[in-house]
Amino acid sequence: MASFDRLSRRAILGGALAAGPLLAAPFVLPRRAAAQAYPERTFRVVIPTGQGGGAERLARAHDAAWSKLLGQNFEYEFFPGAGGQIGYEMFVNRREPDGYNLLFGNMGPEMIMYAVQEPDYTFPDDYIYFCRTDIDDSAVFVRRDSEYESIEQVVDAAKQNPLNTAVSRIPHPASIGMLALGEQTQSEFNLIPYGGGNPTQVAVLNGEADIGALPIAGIVALSDQFRVLGVFSDRNILADKTENAPTVNAVFGTSLPDLSSSRSWAVHTAWADSNPDAFAKLADTAKQALESDEFRAAYEKTGAPIETIAFGDRETCTTYAQNMIELANRYKSVLSADG
Amino acid sequence: MAWDGGLYLDLFAHSLALLWVIVPAVLFGIVIGALPGFSAANTLIILLPLTLSMGLDVALAFMTAVYASTHLGGGIPAILVNMPGDGGSAATTLDGYPMTLKGQGQQALVLCFVASTVGGLVTSLAVVALLPYLAPLGLYLRSVEMVVVMVFGLVLIAAIASDDMLKGLIAGFFGLMLGLIGTDNIYSTPRASFGFLELYDGVPIIAALIGLFAIAETFSMIERDTIVPETAVDTSKPRWADTIDGVRMCIKYWWQIVWTAFIGMLIGIVPGAGATIASFVGYQQSRMFSKTPELYGTGHPPGIIAPESANNGVTSGTLVPLMAIGVPGGATAAVMMVVLQYQGIVLGPRMFIETPELAYGVFIYMTMSYVVMLFTILPLARYMSKVVSMPTRIIVPLIITLTIIGAFANREYMFDMGLALAFAVLGYIAVKTNYHVIGILIGVLLGPLFEQYLLRSLRIGQGDLTVLFSSTLGNVLWAMVALSLILPWLRSRQTRRAQDRDASAEAGHGSLS
Repeated sequence: MASFDRLSRRAILGGALAAGPLLAAPFVLPRRAAAQAYPERTFRVVIPTGQGGGAERLARAHDAAWSKLLGQNFEYEFFPGAGGQIGYEMFVNRREPDGYNLLFGNMGPEMIMYAVQEPDYTFPDDYIYFCRTDIDDSAVFVRRDSEYESIEQVVDAAKQNPLNTAVSRIPHPASIGMLALGEQTQSEFNLIPYGGGNPTQVAVLNGEADIGALPIAGIVALSDQFRVLGVFSDRNILADKTENAPTVNAVFGTSLPDLSSSRSWAVHTAWADSNPDAFAKLADTAKQALESDEFRAAYEKTGAPIETIAFGDRETCTTYAQNMIELANRYKSVLSADG
Repeated sequence: MAWDGGLYLDLFAHSLALLWVIVPAVLFGIVIGALPGFSAANTLIILLPLTLSMGLDVALAFMTAVYASTHLGGGIPAILVNMPGDGGSAATTLDGYPMTLKGQGQQALVLCFVASTVGGLVTSLAVVALLPYLAPLGLYLRSVEMVVVMVFGLVLIAAIASDDMLKGLIAGFFGLMLGLIGTDNIYSTPRASFGFLELYDGVPIIAALIGLFAIAETFSMIERDTIVPETAVDTSKPRWADTIDGVRMCIKYWWQIVWTAFIGMLIGIVPGAGATIASFVGYQQSRMFSKTPELYGTGHPPGIIAPESANNGVTSGTLVPLMAIGVPGGATAAVMMVVLQYQGIVLGPRMFIETPELAYGVFIYMTMSYVVMLFTILPLARYMSKVVSMPTRIIVPLIITLTIIGAFANREYMFDMGLALAFAVLGYIAVKTNYHVIGILIGVLLGPLFEQYLLRSLRIGQGDLTVLFSSTLGNVLWAMVALSLILPWLRSRQTRRAQDRDASAEAGHGSLS
């Protein structure tokens, strides 16, 4: 019995040493192997706006290069409506956090919506942005034959009577820009939401609204019909395409923050943090694709100016998103129905 | 954007070379359109990767053919089994199904096919000829004018309700209430959604349509052995004579086809409007100017011609703002925009200078699609009408399966399948208690659009209601709305008086004799 006990003890110890790696293998090896094999299947992308919009065109332009680096294709699902709430709820709460479900959203307006509507998910605990694709500054614009030739004239007119201003949504960086401009120059802008870039442009084109406020890239793409009067940023990076339109801050000596839209890819935080190797692969290849000539060519085809391409990593995106939340909280009373 | 005959001839010749893609796309589109819940936009989104890999002209020919033909396909189940394939063919059920009940299913289908193809053909040719002048037209209809256009559609509730005003209006208001579910148009705050994420974007139209019409109708079918009451089942062999009879009716009402098609085209040009509004407004206008408005809803041929012609007139209209100013007029046009931009085409006025063959080509391909459609679908009307003699034990499970899948396919929400069933129960109860299902549907479809344009107008007017009467075109449209309410009433009063006079004269004559 003693020898058996001894043997047994040895056997147990030796066996445990030998079996340890084997027993641990199912927990360790698959993860490492999975990281190496990732990605093994098609990505499913939630877009919280409608098909045919700027987000789809940009995502497809990017994935043309990215899918080659990853060796997998991208499939898109569109969940427009409710200012992006449906898409985000769908992504955060109903899509598996497995690294194959991604979201491609517009951080500017969607973070404002997040702050205003207070949904039942939290940023950045539930999802993170990890690859910013562009920075699209908000701008004030008019149609080519408008009576307003400068941003000063617009503000002067808005001091006399509230000026009808077409915007995409009330909770939007461009809308905040108009509200802030009104506040700082004692002028009044009557914001009329049209629910998207295209109908907003039409409202300015048909004279229903006196002026419009939207991200600048879409306006530059229709420069035959529109004129940019001012940009909500410290620098107009599209000066040569906007007839040197000034920044609002430069004209009025204000200190309005940069009010840009900015599209980015997002993934579930839980997956990113528990699969650092796979996440690094996803983020690195996204960056490489964004910096590739193939992407730039595809981006240019969409009609958007290539100057707006701007990569941002997880940290940059998180900082940007949190700044937007802070900004939205500042203007919450006028951005929400409760206000 | 000047007229160039040589270019058009070249494009027509090129479209003949693309028949290999147009013909199958037309047939495919008709089948897709006939399935409730499957729309052109859904189908093209699914096929988008395929179209991106095609040559640009092939992709455009394929997409325009699918787009145009789905609008025709939607009318087939609307007529035969009282189930509109999409919102654009909901108004077709009003007179289409009564014709089937009268044993005139084949003629009704011919009316639908000819009105759809000729309406589509006329407007796509008109767009080719008038594109430079049509482009700014959409800009005349602003939010205020769109409020009135919506009122035109909503007025149809009153017209439908004329036989039982109280029940008709209750149905309409109930529909409007359902239509208010979803996030508000200004701040995107959810309301009346009961916490269901699936209702944030409003009541899904397809699920409502499928439930109220398709599944509710199957409940009624279960009570019978055949789709329509046996008295309406024509057991004779399919005859060309009935097809010719249908064509003859179309010739008799040719003017209806033309002008309702133009109504559809104009509504299509306005970004955001679409086939559903066009078909209801087309139907309402046709009824308003008719000498026999009382016949509408009883299986009257213009009641099929007007909505079908209008909803096909929309197809070319929605592409006008896309091509002319780079703004898509509807969901399908938005998908086409992705393909065009993916291929590096710059949309807008420059397109007509830089790539005129594409700008005009789209409309030429659409014209060719309608020609193909007319010749392929017309002979099939004889056989399609025989569907109504199928026993319900076969057709009911088939319809329920396909429509439930259709409810899911639209947004890929399981929730929508349950919602369709809930609407089916509602539809069945409405039918059994003589409430108008179409009244509920009009409320659900047009209510949210009416609200959206109304709120926008009031915001423009900074809360002043008189803004609704601030535009000349809007006021002309308001006058037409008033006319459309007063005219039928005056006519029916006149008819009643004439009947009373005849009756009293006859009584007088009788007493004398």
